[in-house]
Amino acid sequence: MPNVIIDNKPVSVPNGTLVVEAAKQAGVDIPVFCYHPKLQPVGMCRMCLVEVGTPKRGKDGQIETDANGKPVIAWMPKPQAACTTVVSEGMAVRTDTAQVADARRAIVEFLLTSHPLDCPICDKGGECPLQNLTMAYGPGTSRFPVESKFHNEKRVPLGDLIMLDRERCIQCSRCVRFQSEIADDPVLGFQARGRGLEITTLSDPPFDSKFSGNTIDICPVGALTSRDFRLSARTWELRDYPSVCAHCSVGCNLLIGERDHAIKRIVPRENEAVNEIWLCDKGRFAHHFATAPGRLTQPLIRRNGKLETASWNEALDLVASKFAEIKKQNGAHALGGFGGDRAANEDLYLFQKLFRHVIESPNLEHRVGWSATNVGADLVRLYGAGVGTNLGSLDKNVTVLVIGADPEEEQPVLRLRLTRSAKNFGAQLIVANGRVTKLAKHAKQAVIYRHGGEAAFLLGMTRAILDEHLENQEFAATRITNLSAFAKSLEAYSVEKCAELSGVSVEAIRGAARAFAQAPNGLIVYGREAMFAQQSDLAVASGIATLLLITGHVGRANNGLVALYPHNNSTGALDFGLMPDHGLGRAQLGVKGLAARELATGKVRALYVMACDPAADGAFVKPEFLVAQDLFLTDTAQLADVVLPAQAFAEREGTFTNTERRVQLFRAALKPMGETKPDWWIIAEISKRLGSGWNYGSAREIMDEIAAKVPLYAGMNYATLAENVQLPRPRAGQGNASHAPTEIAMGDLENISSGKTWASVAESDASVKFELMWNEPKGQGAGARGQYTLAVARVIYDRGTLVSQTPIVQPRVPALYLEINSQDAQALGIVRGARVRVTFEARVIEAPANVDGRVPPGVVLMPQNLGGALALPLGARVEIEKV
Amino acid sequence: MEHLILRDLDIQNIKNIAVYEEHGGYQAFRKAVKEMTPDQVTDAVKQSGLRGRGGAGFPAGVKWSFLPKGVFPRYLVVNADESEPGTFKDRQMMERNPHQLIEGIAIASYAIQCNQAFIYIRGEFPYAAECLEQAIADAESRGYVGKNIFGTDYHLQIVVHRGAGAYICGEETALLESIEGKLGQPRVKPPFPAAVGLYNKPTVINNVETLINVPLIIERGAQWYASLGTPKSTGPKVFCLSGHVNRPGNYEGEFGKMTFRELIYDLGGGIRNGKKLKGILPAGASGPMVSPLVNEAVLDVKLDFESLAPFGSLLGSASVIVLDEDTCVVWAAKKMLHFFKNESCGKCTPCREGTYWLWRLLERIDAGEGTMADIDLLTSVATQMQGRTLCPLGEFATSPVLGTVKLFREEYERHVKERGCWAKK
Repeated sequence: MPNVIIDNKPVSVPNGTLVVEAAKQAGVDIPVFCYHPKLQPVGMCRMCLVEVGTPKRGKDGQIETDANGKPVIAWMPKPQAACTTVVSEGMAVRTDTAQVADARRAIVEFLLTSHPLDCPICDKGGECPLQNLTMAYGPGTSRFPVESKFHNEKRVPLGDLIMLDRERCIQCSRCVRFQSEIADDPVLGFQARGRGLEITTLSDPPFDSKFSGNTIDICPVGALTSRDFRLSARTWELRDYPSVCAHCSVGCNLLIGERDHAIKRIVPRENEAVNEIWLCDKGRFAHHFATAPGRLTQPLIRRNGKLETASWNEALDLVASKFAEIKKQNGAHALGGFGGDRAANEDLYLFQKLFRHVIESPNLEHRVGWSATNVGADLVRLYGAGVGTNLGSLDKNVTVLVIGADPEEEQPVLRLRLTRSAKNFGAQLIVANGRVTKLAKHAKQAVIYRHGGEAAFLLGMTRAILDEHLENQEFAATRITNLSAFAKSLEAYSVEKCAELSGVSVEAIRGAARAFAQAPNGLIVYGREAMFAQQSDLAVASGIATLLLITGHVGRANNGLVALYPHNNSTGALDFGLMPDHGLGRAQLGVKGLAARELATGKVRALYVMACDPAADGAFVKPEFLVAQDLFLTDTAQLADVVLPAQAFAEREGTFTNTERRVQLFRAALKPMGETKPDWWIIAEISKRLGSGWNYGSAREIMDEIAAKVPLYAGMNYATLAENVQLPRPRAGQGNASHAPTEIAMGDLENISSGKTWASVAESDASVKFELMWNEPKGQGAGARGQYTLAVARVIYDRGTLVSQTPIVQPRVPALYLEINSQDAQALGIVRGARVRVTFEARVIEAPANVDGRVPPGVVLMPQNLGGALALPLGARVEIEKV
Repeated sequence: MEHLILRDLDIQNIKNIAVYEEHGGYQAFRKAVKEMTPDQVTDAVKQSGLRGRGGAGFPAGVKWSFLPKGVFPRYLVVNADESEPGTFKDRQMMERNPHQLIEGIAIASYAIQCNQAFIYIRGEFPYAAECLEQAIADAESRGYVGKNIFGTDYHLQIVVHRGAGAYICGEETALLESIEGKLGQPRVKPPFPAAVGLYNKPTVINNVETLINVPLIIERGAQWYASLGTPKSTGPKVFCLSGHVNRPGNYEGEFGKMTFRELIYDLGGGIRNGKKLKGILPAGASGPMVSPLVNEAVLDVKLDFESLAPFGSLLGSASVIVLDEDTCVVWAAKKMLHFFKNESCGKCTPCREGTYWLWRLLERIDAGEGTMADIDLLTSVATQMQGRTLCPLGEFATSPVLGTVKLFREEYERHVKERGCWAKK
């Protein structure tokens, strides 16, 4: 810990600290443009020049001291860049001298010679570091003759989402570095030189990255602007409301910038434990659903075969009376509910309460179109990653086994954070999938298994660990009840046999086993493709549990399971028991209700569908009485007898629980549209009409009840969940002048967080004993001739209701395609773009082929959420032919 | 006088490997590999006092010894990006005496124990690149380059890498970026290339003229070499003479022996058309101008790395550009700033914006549109660039302005008063 003196203030900072960071510790703000704490320093802008000196040493090597016994400082003749100078013992730094002030004035003056004076029409105005630092340090007037100004292109579309103003660019390279260092999509670069040095995109399509919007936030000028927000409001007219992203299960923290009851823009809100200061482009841009003109604004009732507007009382009365009538005639089992995992915790909690306690039906589901069992829900409750796990700062003492996941497409910010852990901090990633995913690039070990071989691969790892006695023997002896019995079941499965069943080499299985077992900490990230592995999902789940238990990687931070669920509140839906066999707090129930497929195919007389669209997944049979509660007239709503208009996340408050079990609060930003109501209010009104006597006045009250009723959520309320919520940065002229509102990460990075994570059983109860589950891995041999294994994946920009409401991202939504290995393509005589026919049983789909080496031979991949391919199961054997 | 560097002037066809061998070629390399340890070679170069000829004059042997021990692979990079206006010495060496350079590269590579050397050659020198490639092929055919050199287990591969025409790639770290296929922009130092260089490996970067001296040191001994020149600046030196002289060209002399008077008047045949000598740019565009009109003593200074300091200038790579009395210094400064604003890489603010600003100001003054305040602004802008740039280019770019304003301020004022350039009237 070198001791440094900055403006006469002594500080002690870790080895390797940059002067600019050490200065923060001393409470000294050094202005910067190119420096950013999340990026590698480059020393380009020269704004951070300071005077630096080191203790003067005499000929004898001893530090010379002055009359007061203080070290004499040898000051360097030239000012040094604080962003590239690393502190050393005894270093002295001066930032308050005339020389430094003159350097800052000079740099600002230089920057302004080429910078246009279009602040009045610039989106960055009001939150612009160049504006702020000009006010703070720049000269009052310019000495540069305006007619000598360098002019450049003002409107260069840098892809679908970002507009580049080349004249405003100050060549700081933050965007270039973000794309290569953080996003791992090196698609931006400089071209030319001198005053002509300019940003360009190197990719086709241009700016091909799922994280492009972040470059707007970190741009210290208005060079990169959002093509969505551009010129639509001044930043100081926006009111920022803290919220949480409503798309995937990462739960990125964000700020909704509202003006005139509309969302003008969405920017990230710093949370180092969730999204740092980043958002993916879907989260940032695809918010237009919330204010889309197609929103439902009034209740609808089907009269004479047509949906007609009705009053809330009419609609609610009708729903309640039909539910009561059917219950009376056929019993509660004749009613069922789909509570979608996009709804908030408060809604889901009431939804289950309505069914279990008012209607008294066990027929509850949230997993539309899933074939999954509930094993995943149990695994997370038992072994979920320890509280305090930060997936973005795992170090070399953590091995992460990522199985069957493609976070780049499904949880983009989580992929970015795992990449950061591996690249910056040395976390050891083992990425196992049936195909190549982006995350594998920074993996210590990338494993490609044969689809269907997931369970055999995991079992092989278990066997290798036990063979080499690498298990955590203390944990096994004290906490596992049946290791020897389990080992007996395992006898038939040598590593060699598992290699054969999984298609993974013996060495790769053993290597992964050693890396996982010998690491001080181990995490397993369980992705959708492993959860849905058609033939072996039980064996995959038990394989994961076994690995975690025999290695003792449970019950602590950086240990345990992270299950990647599809939607923003899938975890909440599991927590509140929207399952036929699990109740509140994921408790196993004695009774079992109807499964999703049965609910969707007319096995009940009345079905209440909230925040999901089972009819869109095909094979839906309308029950006698169908209620749909949603934002839009979905496929289900079009069939419904009563349609109830709900509010979007931006119109109400509530909580979502993210994929890491972090419960996060979001606030209302907009005036509700039309007569829409929050989901919880609608459920409560129906319940009242069924005689429940509920009387909830707000989502906050429901959360208080949840905290009291659900032990996992004990102690959580809106006040505790809002602790440390980061509000917008100070405006121009206030506080830290260097930083734009969206560019929050300048201070005490690691201590900022919000939300609360519930503790898994393994960590909340140190005495609980665990039983290893045995499920036979089925494996999958090589297919018949001419058959290919179908990998069903999801892509980020889909054809779903939410994305389709945002025109600006539509060019990024691909047409349905089939990805095929180049060897197979050659054998079939197919080139990229050629149409192929996919046949599975009686179903036939045609799509263009995409040949780009991301699937192994014998495997074809078809995105599941682009329409057309929905019904095909993962791992299916399909036939392919050229059209 | 025997030429030690420009040996092509004494020996016909020395670029031919057989001729080079006849005159003792590759014997120094043989001696180094067969009789000396790498450290002995480095020590000999240290003792010789050989200083880098790229302009900064850093002791070559000391540079070699900075490589961290035990880190391999490591690289030697030869800076043949000779791009300073008025510099053309390396080109003649590469085109006409390439084997002495190859031998120097080979000895240096052996001394630092690298097995791969890169010659980064200016893209506008295609013929020189061909000469080098031919020389490397010839050396390889004789076993001086390649596997098991002189029957030892020492290997060496030499790669000629052609630049794409950016002046900044003569800056050593921009040069490394360029070899790596990236945009030619300087890196932040430290770390220095000796520790983190090409492909992040320890790297020595030497100028062509530096390395071509190395065989002499090994062949004739460090003491003999140190006896040439002055105690601080040892050895022979090639001076590039251009501008308004009768016989421009490369002239070989010794440090501390040559004077401008000898170079310009004796060797260069004096100023063209019998005109008066107005200004000398000793280091191309990168060093401040000196003028015998202001101080005639400058003509008789014995030239070495330090001797021009009292006149506010430096020798640099000794690219001596001579301007006669008819030359307008404002015009000259404008031309040089036009060069620098084109060649600034744009990475750091003061250089990118400052060179552009200075050039626009000089254009104004030269066109007769400037004011007296513009002259002060010129020096102010140039001064506020100094000490704040990422690499020396931005620092050098201020020289033409500050040097000429200091020497000939009245000429700037005349442009303002007469609303234009006297020389163009």
